[in-house]
Amino acid sequence: MDQLFMAGGTVVIGVFGCVAYFFLSNMILDAVWPPRGPDAGRNILRAAMIRPWLFLFPAIALLAVYLVYPVFVSIWLSLHDNTGQRFVGADNYLWLLNDRKFQESIRNNFLWLLVVPGGATFFGLIAAALTDRIRWGNFAKAMIFMPMAISFIGASVIWKFIYDYRGEGRTEIGLLNAVVEAFGGTAQTWLTLEPWNNFFLMAVLIWIQTGFAMVILSAALRGIPEETIEAAILDGASPFQIFLKIKVPQIWGTIAVVWTTITILVLKVFDIVLAMTNGQWGTQVLANMMFDWMFRGNDSGRASAIALVIMLLVTPIMIWNIRNAHKEMR
Amino acid sequence: MDNIAGTKSSLVWAVNIAVVVLVLLWTIPTFGLLVSSFRDRDQIATTGWWSSLFPHEASLRFRIGDAETQRQEGEVFVIDGSVFEAGGTVSAFGTSNRDPAAHEPGEVVDFGDGISGTVNEDGSYRVTSPVAFEGRSPRLFVTSVTPPRFTLENYDRVLFAQGLGRAFLNTMTVTIPATVIPILVAAFAAYALAWMEFPGRSLLIASVVGLLVVPLQLALIPLLQLHNAIGIGKDYLGIWLAHSAFGLPLAIYLLRNYMVGLPREIIESARVDGATDFQIFLKIILPLSFPALASFAIFQFLWTWNDLLIATVFLGNTQDQLVMTGVLRELLGSRGGDWEILAASAFVSISVPLVVFFAMQKYLVRGLLAGSVK
Amino acid sequence: MTSRFLAARFLATAAAALLSGAAAAQDLKFPPGEDSRFNWDSYESFKRDLSGQSLKIDGPWGGVDKALFETVVAYFEAATGADVEFSGGDGFEQRVMIDVEAGSPPGIAVVPQPGLAQELARRGKLAPLPASAADWLRENYAAGESWVDLGTYAGADGAEALYGFVYKVDVKSLVWYSPENFEDMGYEVPETMEELKALTEQIAEDGETPWCIGLGSGPATGWPATDWVEDMMLRVNTPEDYDAWTRNELAFDDPKVIAAIEEFGWFARNDDFVSGGASAVGSTDFRDSPKGLFTSPAQCFMHHQASFIPSFFPEGTVVGEDVDFFYFPASAEKDLGKPVLGAGTLFVITKDSPVAQAFLEFLQTPIAHEIWMAQTGFLTPHKGVNTEVYGDPTLKKMGDILLQADTFRFDGSDLMPGAIGAGAFWTAMVDYVGGKDAATVAGDVQRTWNTLK
Repeated sequence: MDQLFMAGGTVVIGVFGCVAYFFLSNMILDAVWPPRGPDAGRNILRAAMIRPWLFLFPAIALLAVYLVYPVFVSIWLSLHDNTGQRFVGADNYLWLLNDRKFQESIRNNFLWLLVVPGGATFFGLIAAALTDRIRWGNFAKAMIFMPMAISFIGASVIWKFIYDYRGEGRTEIGLLNAVVEAFGGTAQTWLTLEPWNNFFLMAVLIWIQTGFAMVILSAALRGIPEETIEAAILDGASPFQIFLKIKVPQIWGTIAVVWTTITILVLKVFDIVLAMTNGQWGTQVLANMMFDWMFRGNDSGRASAIALVIMLLVTPIMIWNIRNAHKEMR
Repeated sequence: MDNIAGTKSSLVWAVNIAVVVLVLLWTIPTFGLLVSSFRDRDQIATTGWWSSLFPHEASLRFRIGDAETQRQEGEVFVIDGSVFEAGGTVSAFGTSNRDPAAHEPGEVVDFGDGISGTVNEDGSYRVTSPVAFEGRSPRLFVTSVTPPRFTLENYDRVLFAQGLGRAFLNTMTVTIPATVIPILVAAFAAYALAWMEFPGRSLLIASVVGLLVVPLQLALIPLLQLHNAIGIGKDYLGIWLAHSAFGLPLAIYLLRNYMVGLPREIIESARVDGATDFQIFLKIILPLSFPALASFAIFQFLWTWNDLLIATVFLGNTQDQLVMTGVLRELLGSRGGDWEILAASAFVSISVPLVVFFAMQKYLVRGLLAGSVK
Repeated sequence: MTSRFLAARFLATAAAALLSGAAAAQDLKFPPGEDSRFNWDSYESFKRDLSGQSLKIDGPWGGVDKALFETVVAYFEAATGADVEFSGGDGFEQRVMIDVEAGSPPGIAVVPQPGLAQELARRGKLAPLPASAADWLRENYAAGESWVDLGTYAGADGAEALYGFVYKVDVKSLVWYSPENFEDMGYEVPETMEELKALTEQIAEDGETPWCIGLGSGPATGWPATDWVEDMMLRVNTPEDYDAWTRNELAFDDPKVIAAIEEFGWFARNDDFVSGGASAVGSTDFRDSPKGLFTSPAQCFMHHQASFIPSFFPEGTVVGEDVDFFYFPASAEKDLGKPVLGAGTLFVITKDSPVAQAFLEFLQTPIAHEIWMAQTGFLTPHKGVNTEVYGDPTLKKMGDILLQADTFRFDGSDLMPGAIGAGAFWTAMVDYVGGKDAATVAGDVQRTWNTLK
């Protein structure tokens, strides 16, 4: 029980500490360079240079220790052998280039990037738009959101009951095969059916991430000023037109954010692949390959090299976001 | 809002139907797990979950009561009982694996070695032998229609698992600070990145996006090393910091995007009125950003709630540090094959995030106010 | 059970969890000195004072195995006064590597893969055992030398030493079957590999399906086939070839290895021989697979799996009555004796301390083995224990297979580097049952292995 007090205490101390930090640091800044008196103009400018960093400091400190530092460790490790002791130069990268599983992973990762972010964002947008218009919308939202709340291991069992295959003459316990058989088809081993099995795995992630897209997009849709919509209605626009021509453009920024977030998640996703096929039958992806070499191969060098490839793939998205940020500032 | 009544009602219908279809598609898989969580392991492995909702025909293998239950009736020894625990109808039976449906119910059949017996339609059986039964008793193969049968045993095992109550507290201890701290830290940073002018701003935004992709798995060893070196070791402080930091990039990214979309006029008029950035942040930005804060809170809560990897690395495996996911994993058996337990535990552990979602849902609506402020 | 009752019990347990922080000290399962079958002398003579010292043990055992091991630990605690905490469970391999590398290792790690122990030793993360431990193994374990070999690795400085102490062994060369189904059809338990093959063909001719084989295991999909291939390796090649193979001195794509893979393929790649057809083998879950023995009518007659599998049989199944096992027979044509494939767990010291050393010494006492033997799921090569204490006849029968073995070999995939034994080998097996050629998949493994050198 004292533990919960401790947790509660931490929340209070943490929240209070954060607020106190921001409040005090701002106060000190204002005391050092008061925005009044003879030097008011210069002081305001000087304070304006410092203030953003006061706001950013806690975040930057945490990020630097927990995310930037490991990146540098990974770069260092990727140039060393499996125990991290002997320098091997670019060996790990050369090995990667010649590894067939790596080529397969790159191919699959691109497939995932094409299908999943688009699919999840699309369904999320539809769900958000439709559920906002009906009375039982909150319930519907909760139902579509539910997969997000299920752990990945739970999700893999759920989909096992969908894709399972038992073989000829045996009762199928997988829903998909039962449906196929009910319509007179023959049961399939869905998860070994190259290359379609990749898409069956992607379906799982779309199913999970639609809830994420829906929640974020729904908040954005509700933030659209009423006037613009009312004006359109007065102009006699149909609901479809309003949605496509008025609403979607206004939340375009949020759609991009959702799409970016899911794209990055796709680069990192390994739980689904690991739990359902472990990358067999041509379904390997980079993140799972990294996980494999890290924890099964115990080779931090190779795992780090793969991790850096994953991080490299994100650069186009970063550049695109810099451009967007520039546009917003104008 | 809509003036044309006819198209409106048909549109409402279309929307309702579309949502029903969407909800069905999204819940059927989970529903399968829900049904499975009320079935026992053997049922799950042999028949589809949908078939358990209706009476269905099944072939059973059954061993009659063992020799200790026999009684003597005059010259013969008798073992009797029922093949069903909870009722059903026998349509055929057999005594050998070769032909499990050889006989009609009620037919008296020779089992070999002078033993004979029968199974009736209601499942009762009676097997007689001229000499006392010894050792392994005979088998019966029964084709029967059994009514749906569900069990609460899985939930019983999960809910009363050793240490689950304690683990629930531990998980709460982990999740609450790990949800609140990053939101606060990220909100300030997001405001600076959205509304303050300073050199290197867009570079910082891009770095935040870049940091989203850092795979956690690689960070584990160096960070645990660090925790050990500075004396945090494996304790709650370490996991709070770790979860907060891992959640930060997404928090900053989502919040900044939301804040950037807030109406410029409000902030600028406040600035003209002489409000400091700190005041603007506290009095204007924070209240207006509630929907974004709430949605991120939901996600961060979910991740920390369902996390197992970070907890096993940064927290110990001992009773006062084991989280719920850890206890549930123990229940899955040494080779993780107990799907019935997995199904039940998935629904036990989903309940809290769903409560959080419903509790937060009303804050998601505040966005409406954001638009109408000006 | 009503939901109200559930709720009441939930509250009660929650309250109990709140009130009593730690569980009460564990009672000893068998009171010392009472049952004369146990070697209580060894318990008494081990007694020493280590009170105030504590030891952390991490291992792969969760659930039932964890509880069983804790009953053994309780005797150590009672005999020494030391405080031992076992925090085992799933995900051990990742956990131990991270903990050891990050500098917060447990005192003792219970490693199921000698390959992992070897890796830890190579990185200088293990403390060597005293020389007396090797002598003790040679003298007291059946086929002692092979157990010494299993735990001996090169350290960070390249010098070889004994690091691992084997405690708890499993037998893998088992075929499970239903004796009554055999009786119904008039089949006999085969004594040789040739008879096993003849029986397989016979069953298929009778219109039934001989085997249930499933390689599915989620993240570990493919491993059940490695056991098959290893068993076949020991039945077509010499034990020396087997050893060379696990060290890659015999190439993975050597004709000898390919022959073993194809022997497995003879069973697994024939649509008439496996339940669900050959295409179902790769994706059928290994936990679901044995259930075919128990259906009505039976979906298959035989299932090759290690001694742990009864926990996946349908509820209420009685081993020895509803189901039984026979030794996966050796070939009569080849003079290779009766090889047995097995596995086990190695205790290694990840953080040296007197209490850790004392615990490994405790594992040398007969009583440390007998406590677990008397319960369930434990086999031991210790010659000094009283086999009368075996908790059930099944264990005793497995123990006999172990004792009658001419050759005992450890699970090869656990001896290989992780990237092979828990990676490329699995993939190769999945590809092979999926229809690829044995030479091709073996070549793939060898290529991966080449990049590790």
